[in-house]
Amino acid sequence: MNRLKTRLGKLHFESPVTVASGTFGTEYFDFFDQRILGAYVSKTITYEPKAGNPPPRLYETEAGLINSIGLQNPGIDVFIKSSLPELREKLYIPLVVSFSGSSITEFCAMLEMLEISEGIDGYEVNVSCPNVENEGIAFGTDPDTVFELTQKLSAITNKELIIKLSPNVSDIATIAIAAEAGGASSLALINTLFGMAIDIETGKSRIKKGVGGYSGTGIKPVALALTYKAARAVKIPILAMGGIYTWQDALEFFYAGASMIALGTANFINPIAAAEAHHGLDVYLAQRDLRLKDIVGKVNG
Amino acid sequence: MKSYKILPIWRIERLKGGYFVLWIEDTELAAQCRPGQFCELKAPQGIPRLFKPISVFDVIQDRVAFFIKTVGAGTNALSVMREGDLLQVIGPLGTSFPIPNNKSIVLVSGGVGYPPLAFLKKHLPSSNQVRFLHGGACADDVFPCDECFTVDGSAGIKAFVTEGFMRLIETRHVDLVLSCGPVPMLKALSAICKANGIKHFASLEAYMACGVGVCHGCAVGVGSKGDYQRVCVEGPVFDADDLNWELM
Ligand SMILES: Cc1cc2nc3c(=O)[nH]c(=O)nc-3n(C[C@H](O)[C@H](O)[C@H](O)COP(=O)(O)OP(=O)(O)OC[C@H]3O[C@@H](n4cnc5c(N)ncnc54)[C@H](O)[C@@H]3O)c2cc1C
Ligand SMILES: Cc1cc2nc3c(=O)[nH]c(=O)nc-3n(C[C@H](O)[C@H](O)[C@H](O)COP(=O)(O)O)c2cc1C
Ligand code: FES
Repeated sequence: MNRLKTRLGKLHFESPVTVASGTFGTEYFDFFDQRILGAYVSKTITYEPKAGNPPPRLYETEAGLINSIGLQNPGIDVFIKSSLPELREKLYIPLVVSFSGSSITEFCAMLEMLEISEGIDGYEVNVSCPNVENEGIAFGTDPDTVFELTQKLSAITNKELIIKLSPNVSDIATIAIAAEAGGASSLALINTLFGMAIDIETGKSRIKKGVGGYSGTGIKPVALALTYKAARAVKIPILAMGGIYTWQDALEFFYAGASMIALGTANFINPIAAAEAHHGLDVYLAQRDLRLKDIVGKVNG
Repeated sequence: MKSYKILPIWRIERLKGGYFVLWIEDTELAAQCRPGQFCELKAPQGIPRLFKPISVFDVIQDRVAFFIKTVGAGTNALSVMREGDLLQVIGPLGTSFPIPNNKSIVLVSGGVGYPPLAFLKKHLPSSNQVRFLHGGACADDVFPCDECFTVDGSAGIKAFVTEGFMRLIETRHVDLVLSCGPVPMLKALSAICKANGIKHFASLEAYMACGVGVCHGCAVGVGSKGDYQRVCVEGPVFDADDLNWELM
């Protein structure tokens, strides 16, 4: 019996462990068998190619990582023509494609292009980027925009539509409800928090851009609280991430209401973290004779 | 192919000035490492931290050596390890230096740029004429080479290694420069090579998260269009003419 089976909206997975967009590549399959992953989530693509931000782009803090990659990617045309066939060739597991647009029209155009491409099982919509139509405010911070965007996207596809939320909002529940009302079949949370570090010798930010995205150990309590709040606000399933390094971390998120979890920064710290998390969860459930669904959302109190 | 392994430390040799050499034993890794390539190393620590990119310094039979300077938390954790302790290793990673024949070659290193060039020197065929220049801040930073330079004059010649290189090319024809060191040094060297029509390959350092090409954190500027490449995959050894030094 596979105790670890799970579901996100329309998709069924053999494992509740997946990987966070931008932090994983098939390169890691040199180190473990990909079949321990429920799915593969690709790095976010944008409509136009993006060169990314000037270096330095990384800095490791006492409790996590700051990055400002700037969504470096070859753009949707190259993704569809070369990256997608290569990915499908290498993958035996479902593929979730992450994408991001700078306007609602661009998001829709991208989804239409992906819809007619072979080999995609679901989409993760990254709404953390600035909205050019809305004076540069990130899509994910405005419930009305999230609703409108999700509604337009869900009219285009019947595949799994995961809306990935930003933690940099005052009330995650409002945004989660807006995405659900717009037709999202599941939610992913959280993307990175704002983070900064300064070199006191030079007085300069450690990251060329100044402020970056903060991920890893330090954001786990925030991610857990937001998962818990979102899970209580909506009925659609949640793919949770933020500082998950071990199976013990993962269990906390399942108890808080996640149906699936992703490892991000953890892959850099331990390249077989996903395999170890999968194994640890399996042992934990077997010892208690439980299935994953028995514990999802079952936090006490 | 790169692999991820947990290997016991075979030997650790403490050197002056916080430098040390760490040896591991692994037949497969030893057979694969080329000069210029690096491994990601990590000591088990209380708090989870990133791996540290460290060049291959030497390979003798089944053993691989790394020559490391203690600068911060990651290298400090490596420096306090003992023989027999388990080390996490991903490698070998990145591109290697070209290995030519019948050329007049100058190797130029600065600071912890020393190890990959010391390894390269052992691999260059004897048909080449090779001169190894190395520079550091002070006597603690200099190691066996043909000519050494220090900024404070406490060992070798009191000058930047790039000044030593300028003097050398006045008296000698040079076909190729292979270098590794801090960006300002490499940038200055690159300008000299360009002005004198000398081919130059430089090995770059960058802050890394994954080391295997997935995060795009280790980007460096290439070409004139504001594009970036990954030091861990397209590098660390680059044709210096391809690099955009203004974007560093
Ligand atoms: C391809 C490659 C090969 C390398 N080979 C060697 C080697 O053979 N021997 C050796 O001693 N070192 C080598 N380094 C440098 C080494 O990786 C860094 O010194 C190390 O990562 C510092 O980590 P830390 O945790 O000790 O210091 P941290 O606490 O991270 O930093 C201490 C200081 O060093 C700076 N720093 C940290 N990482 C880097 C980096 N990658 N490049 C430039 N500055 C950095 C920080 O900004 C800070 O000022 C190499 C780096 C690369 C990219
Ligand atoms: C280097 C790096 C690159 C990232 N790139 C993306 C990306 O392209 N798209 C995206 O939606 N999230 C991206 N993220 C955010 C992660 O997917 C994840 O939401 C976040 O890091 C929190 O999880 P973690 O703490 O487990 O890393 C990136 C994170 C990091 C560290
Ligand atoms: S360190 Fe991640 S791509 Fe180079």
